[in-house]
Amino acid sequence: MSLELRARNALIVARRLRQKALPGDLRARVTALEDEVQEQRQLNRRLAELLDVVTELLIPIQDRDEAKVQEILKGYRSTL
Amino acid sequence: MTVVVGHDGVLVRTAGTGPLLLHLDGRYVWSFTPERDGRPALGGVLVAWPGVLRPFLDGVGRVLVTNGAGEPVFDDDVALGSGAGRIAVVDQHGHPLSVDKVGHLTRSFAATDEAVREEILAGTERAVADLRDAGGVEVYLNYGALLGAVREGRMLDHDSDTDLCYYSRHTTPIDVILESYRVERTMLARGWNVLRMSAGDVKLLLPLSDGRVCHIDVFAAFHIDGVFYQFGNRSGSLPREAVVPPSTIELHGHTFPAPADQEAMLAFLYGPGWRVPDPSFKYADPPAGVRRLDGWFRGFRTQMPRWTEFWRGQHGATFQPSDFARWVLARTADGDRVVELGSGSGADAVFLAKHGRRIRAFDHSREAVRMTRTRARQRHGRVRAERLVLGELRQVLWLGAALARDPHHLYARQLLGTLDDDARAQLWRLASMALRRQGRLFLEFSTGGLLAPLPSPEGLVQRLDPDVVTAEIVAAGGRVEHREVGPGVGVLGRPDPSVCRLVATWKEPS
Repeated sequence: MSLELRARNALIVARRLRQKALPGDLRARVTALEDEVQEQRQLNRRLAELLDVVTELLIPIQDRDEAKVQEILKGYRSTL
Repeated sequence: MTVVVGHDGVLVRTAGTGPLLLHLDGRYVWSFTPERDGRPALGGVLVAWPGVLRPFLDGVGRVLVTNGAGEPVFDDDVALGSGAGRIAVVDQHGHPLSVDKVGHLTRSFAATDEAVREEILAGTERAVADLRDAGGVEVYLNYGALLGAVREGRMLDHDSDTDLCYYSRHTTPIDVILESYRVERTMLARGWNVLRMSAGDVKLLLPLSDGRVCHIDVFAAFHIDGVFYQFGNRSGSLPREAVVPPSTIELHGHTFPAPADQEAMLAFLYGPGWRVPDPSFKYADPPAGVRRLDGWFRGFRTQMPRWTEFWRGQHGATFQPSDFARWVLARTADGDRVVELGSGSGADAVFLAKHGRRIRAFDHSREAVRMTRTRARQRHGRVRAERLVLGELRQVLWLGAALARDPHHLYARQLLGTLDDDARAQLWRLASMALRRQGRLFLEFSTGGLLAPLPSPEGLVQRLDPDVVTAEIVAAGGRVEHREVGPGVGVLGRPDPSVCRLVATWKEPS
């Protein structure tokens, strides 16, 4: 068996060993995955908040009327 | 007797009693199911006193425990704590309180007179009209009020509020959240005092003539990927046709919209046994659903109830301006504008205002804002105090935008250690917006290693490593101009062996 083939086999064995993870490792991986999924879920609120700022604050501010901008900033605050 | 009542709780000696109701001096206080709520103990099953009741359990009281059929299983005088005086489970106005189905201490309808109940129902009716006619949502009466109306034709004795839900036709959390914001704005425009509990539910605060404030919950309900979700924490299988279009139901002479299939909704909420009264009922929500609702909608006010409770307990306490306030006073000029974040009692804000600084104070707790305003009024300090929830990005962006146009220094004493990672990142974001043109961030926080004592209030504050804080500031585009560590004081003004004072700037390179 060539050295290259032996190395490849050793890699496959190592990968299989990793896949047969001990229950403790699996639990840790599931916990980590759950945390990561939860992080992704939290982006929903972040994105909704950004959309709220853009639609309620940023777009009305685009008209660059200073008095109106002040009014919009004050008005937005009162609805938070 | 099959039941013994003592310091630790209620010891139930026989199995299969079903739900038990506990009355104190003739008033309903708490109900429980021993098999579910208790733990094995010597001689039976011990159901511990709920934590919310414990502060009241000092003195002597006549305790009556009855089973579901109303038969007494215990009836005797019980001495608890010091055993001096009568035990009274009442609020600050002397109104009797009881433990509700989610474990909160609240006034129940049994202890609410008819006129007040009428105020609650009329207020709920007004909320329904505003949500439906101005808010344009398909609203319906739900939970205890619906159960009482369907099963008994009246409010349930041990219920304490009214809950409204509206069915959202949206099928992504983002759109459900945006709709909830819109509903909140509508209700604010209609004059309601609104408290946001999550990105999917708000409370309408209805003041009552007896001094109490009734909370009317407004919960979003929706389907995502075929699963029905309904705030607080419900999730499972219920078709849209069972929810909308709303039907109607009568309650004490008031007509309310109700779910399309009232019985299907009640079975979804309370299980197939909903027709049989169970005052000790508790929800058994699927954990996967709760996890989703938490991830999508919650996380920005996790510690707020504990802080509100904490500040409520501080009424009457004396707070002195901190040394840090004096330190900052020496580093700012007369007439400088300062925003205090996390103003708490308001002692520092009022001190700085009285010494010529122009102060705006913010705190996430309504109770703390109230304390700051009261202190400012009593001591004639000009302080504008408002709420700010750093966990809510839109509030941070609003304040950052406002301060970018109207520069202030930022001041935060003992705030940093109370924030979670997310809120701390938002603080740096706020600083980077607000201090872009001028101004400095003045911070004081508890530090020290693992050997340092736990800072108080325990569980609400943590010690932070100044190197980590510095790294976060630098990563957010700031620059630490000054840093020192030494003995100081904690949140409550008590000596703290190790606090860090830090000054940072975010000025853009010219």
